[in-house]
Amino acid sequence: MMETFRILAPLAWRNLWRNPRRTVITLIVVSVGLYSILFFAALIEAWADASRDRALNVMTGSGQIHTQGYADDPTIGQVFPQAGGELLAYLEGPEISGWAPRVRVPAVVQSEYRTMPLTLIGVNPTGEKAISIVPDGIVEGAYLSGPDDPTIFLGQSMVDRLKTRLGKRVIILAQNSDGTLAEQSFEVGGIYDGFSEIEDMLGFAGLETVQTLLGAEGQLSEIAYRVTDEARLDQVGHDLGQIIPELDVQSWKDLSPMAAMAEESMGVAVFIWLWVMFILMAFGIINTQLMAVFERVHEFGLLQALGMRPRMILLIVTLESSILVGIGTLMGIAGAVATIQAMSGGLDISFLAEGAAMAGVGQVLYLKLDWGQLIELSIIVWLLSVAVTYWPARKASKFSPVEAMAHVS
Amino acid sequence: MCPEQTPIVSCRGLEKNYRQGTIDVPALQGVDLDIMPGDFATLAGPSGSGKTTLLNMIGGLDLPSAGSVVLDGETLENLNKSQLAQLRLDKIGFVFQAYNLIPVLSAVENIEFVLRLAGTPASERHQRAMESLHEVGLDGLENRRPSHLSGGQQQRVAVARALIGRPAIVLADEPTANLDSKTAQELIDLMAQLNVERGITFLMGTHDARVIARSRRHIEMTDGRITADEIRGS
Repeated sequence: MMETFRILAPLAWRNLWRNPRRTVITLIVVSVGLYSILFFAALIEAWADASRDRALNVMTGSGQIHTQGYADDPTIGQVFPQAGGELLAYLEGPEISGWAPRVRVPAVVQSEYRTMPLTLIGVNPTGEKAISIVPDGIVEGAYLSGPDDPTIFLGQSMVDRLKTRLGKRVIILAQNSDGTLAEQSFEVGGIYDGFSEIEDMLGFAGLETVQTLLGAEGQLSEIAYRVTDEARLDQVGHDLGQIIPELDVQSWKDLSPMAAMAEESMGVAVFIWLWVMFILMAFGIINTQLMAVFERVHEFGLLQALGMRPRMILLIVTLESSILVGIGTLMGIAGAVATIQAMSGGLDISFLAEGAAMAGVGQVLYLKLDWGQLIELSIIVWLLSVAVTYWPARKASKFSPVEAMAHVS
Repeated sequence: MCPEQTPIVSCRGLEKNYRQGTIDVPALQGVDLDIMPGDFATLAGPSGSGKTTLLNMIGGLDLPSAGSVVLDGETLENLNKSQLAQLRLDKIGFVFQAYNLIPVLSAVENIEFVLRLAGTPASERHQRAMESLHEVGLDGLENRRPSHLSGGQQQRVAVARALIGRPAIVLADEPTANLDSKTAQELIDLMAQLNVERGITFLMGTHDARVIARSRRHIEMTDGRITADEIRGS
């Protein structure tokens, strides 16, 4: 086999450059095609990462703990005791990088002008900062200072709709744990912006303040946590399920199905794009290789007359294609790597900000080089491209020497 | 011809029909022919007489409609395409009318190519190719591509390539047809010299009176039949 390769490789290489224009066109077709596949794959992955990160970083975390009935009835009736014992030890252990206890209830917020529905969330600011980027979105005032902070932290959009402002007071009405109506006046201590998906819905107050308001001292309706290693997400969920079997432990994939779907559909999108580009490339490759074969019919007859076996004719045409597509593949990889590296600092898509926010994506996409995926896609494209040249190669090997040598190009 | 010798080529009842539309056109009609080792034979006849068809049959480039060709003990119709290719590599040297060199290879590489196919070691391969080039008078032109060689030089390379594998027979189809008269004469002299000095068997299809005049055996064909087979002695 090596000897055959030694015979054919130099011949194949020189044959490629008999028609440099055609060779260059084929190289461009392959390299641009593969480049677009690799760049698209990186872009889609960055989009999915951004979508997932946004979902995880705003409120969700890697996962959350609720009572079993919370999803159907997210009220003050669905609470569980503050973390302690084995659960606390696990949450403070190496598998968890941060966790945030919350009391989360539907409420009504009232200003001098408007009354709006709101989800009131009692938070521990320290824990919240470990898993959420909402505290960083402050545009006016200050974030909550502690679990007993008496102020409320509202979204800019909610503040605008309530026609209130920083320093003014709003009334919160919510159902108490004993079923009665609880109400309390809160000063607007801080305003956050940049999270259109929650700005109209969520208001934050100190955990203990809300627990007291609702008569649920020492009770939580939610613990959000962030895992240290995303790859161990399912294992952490399993561990927590063992520790607190009476509670419902859900990962972000259950809590943010859109983000999970984006991640899962990423592979499908890349696969579809790969096939679209490959079919376009295949037309170009087959066309040029058929031309190359038909221009050399006479020569294939001569090679057979000199004693070259039909199998070697097939091999030489396939080898030419392999080299040609291989060079195009390397060029495509080089282009894609250079582009992805150049954009690794972040691709600003602020011009798509509104659409991106609706899709749950931040304004900057961080493209990453995934060498495994890059090599896998490149090999797939190379193999498929070489496979489509089997047809012209087989044609070349099937010419009878006499007919081929009678052929005039 | 020497009656004790075994023929290099033996054709018996050779027929070849080509289909043109709905009609079978006979190109060979019952050819019986023996080519003996050391023959320097010409195959002549008008266009369409079957010279090229007969050379193609003997060279295993095409298969007969009926009859048989035995080349150096091998019955060609029993061989598949790969075996025929191997037989051509091992036992036949071809010289074609239109030079037919591989355009992307230099003169010496064209000659070496046959040895590469035969699996000859690299060191021996190059040395033999250079010797062969010297033999056909092309010293110093070994690195030229065919496009940088004259017609006569290309045909000499083709002769060198035909001989490099030490074939049982060299089949030449109109080897001088595209050459000027001086170059043609030089080529005829070269082939005759190789026949005499190295005992290489030549069978040449030709119209060229100069080639016919130098041959020691002359076979005449008309309408796919051998009409004359004249031994002129050495």
